[in-house]
Amino acid sequence: MNCKPLFLFACVVLAASAARGQDAADFFRQNCVSCHTVGGGRLTGPDLKNVTQRQSREWLIEFIMNPQAVINRGDPYAQKLLQEARGVVMPPISGMTRERAEALLALLDAESQLPKSQFVGLQMSDRPFTPNDVALGRAIFLGERPLANGGPACLSCHTVKAVAPLGGGRLGPDLTRVYERLQGRKNLGAWLVAPATPVMATTFKQHALQPEEILPLVAFFEDAARQGGQDDSAARLNFFLLGLGGAALALVAMDAVWRRRFRSVRRALVENARRLAR
Amino acid sequence: MNTAFYLDQFLFAVLPYVVAIAFIPATVYRYRARGFTYSSLSSQFLENQQHFWGLVPFHYGILVVTLGHLVAFFLPQQLLAWNSRPLRLYVLEISGLIFGVLSLVGLAAAVMRRLTHGKVYRVTSGPDWVLFALLLLQIASGIGVAVFHPWGSSWFASTVTPYLWSLVKLNPDLTAISASPLLVKLHIVNAYLVIGLFPFTRLVHILVIPNPYLWRKPQVVRWYGRQHA
Repeated sequence: MNCKPLFLFACVVLAASAARGQDAADFFRQNCVSCHTVGGGRLTGPDLKNVTQRQSREWLIEFIMNPQAVINRGDPYAQKLLQEARGVVMPPISGMTRERAEALLALLDAESQLPKSQFVGLQMSDRPFTPNDVALGRAIFLGERPLANGGPACLSCHTVKAVAPLGGGRLGPDLTRVYERLQGRKNLGAWLVAPATPVMATTFKQHALQPEEILPLVAFFEDAARQGGQDDSAARLNFFLLGLGGAALALVAMDAVWRRRFRSVRRALVENARRLAR
Repeated sequence: MNTAFYLDQFLFAVLPYVVAIAFIPATVYRYRARGFTYSSLSSQFLENQQHFWGLVPFHYGILVVTLGHLVAFFLPQQLLAWNSRPLRLYVLEISGLIFGVLSLVGLAAAVMRRLTHGKVYRVTSGPDWVLFALLLLQIASGIGVAVFHPWGSSWFASTVTPYLWSLVKLNPDLTAISASPLLVKLHIVNAYLVIGLFPFTRLVHILVIPNPYLWRKPQVVRWYGRQHA
């Protein structure tokens, strides 16, 4: 009996399954580690070690594919998860399919068996933050210190109270109290490793933040949360007024620059005739 | 999958290709078949008092703002580098807003002139009115985006530019766009509509190069062609 074809088939199946496993691991790293660990304790979302022993696979797949829908229909377990996450709803994950959800559950089963999963989470230092950390975090936030992997500065889309004269961006949320919202350094640090919202995920997939950038940023956010408040809308109003004022000046300038412009055929003829008459 | 998903797919992954595919043959056809209509058909000869306030602020405003969008598309990293100091970011954003307001003031003046002056009103065509409406919406939404969702010069370079390049590479990635605020989506979709109507409106005058309107001496022009005589 010739075993060669059988061996080749087995190799192909194994390779395909390994590739699927790798794909699931990469997907988990890019989309899930900002809120979940496997054996590293709770972040914004629950620790997923042995998750398949806590709920049925069918329920988990349904939840992974559309968390909001399961919450909306009043499922008691989903309500409990929501309460534990202090009202933070798991965002819909771009590119999620049933096959991918099944692959993720298989990955979580395998990782749960290991003494230490690769997704145990960011081991951020517990040392107290120093004023230097806060200053560095502020420079990173503003963009004065460029991100090592070329990501855009936080200020592009986010603001923090009194961070700069005209405030920060408003595409994303005000981050003055993000340290409180995500319940401290561990969660916030994990979130920054692989930000999970669609805009952040797209932007930072290719430009991941470095651990040495995450710590000062967390320090800066902790400092901002301690000072409290939220960015007011005066900065936006000032920006708008500066734009209006500048445009008004530009209109005056245009009128001055083109003051000898040709206003009408008749007026030119009349003026010309008057000049000749003198 | 829900309606919003399919709507996003249509507006951000299908519409731009429809527009791009229609654009080229339609502009070429118009140039070859009705070459003398490749103009914005100046109405300066009919009314020359208010004309200045529509013409000059609108064109300088829209040219600078459009140039800014092109820079963000072609040189995103350089733009982000410029914006890495808040003061420089603010200078750029305030300048952009000033030119945006100039273009809105200019366009509003142009529309008022066409509405209030009988002679100019009579030579304003249906496509002109549609174009004015779309442009008003485009500029107003752009100013809205600048004020309510700053700082566009930075986030355009880091979220919209990758989306636009994904369209160019025929592999649309809508992740960031789908999650954008409604005003931003409106601005993008309306831009596609303006580009889509480009070959059928007075906008074709942009393509007629050399285009020395910016630096030539002022001159009064009369119409060439019979249809509006």
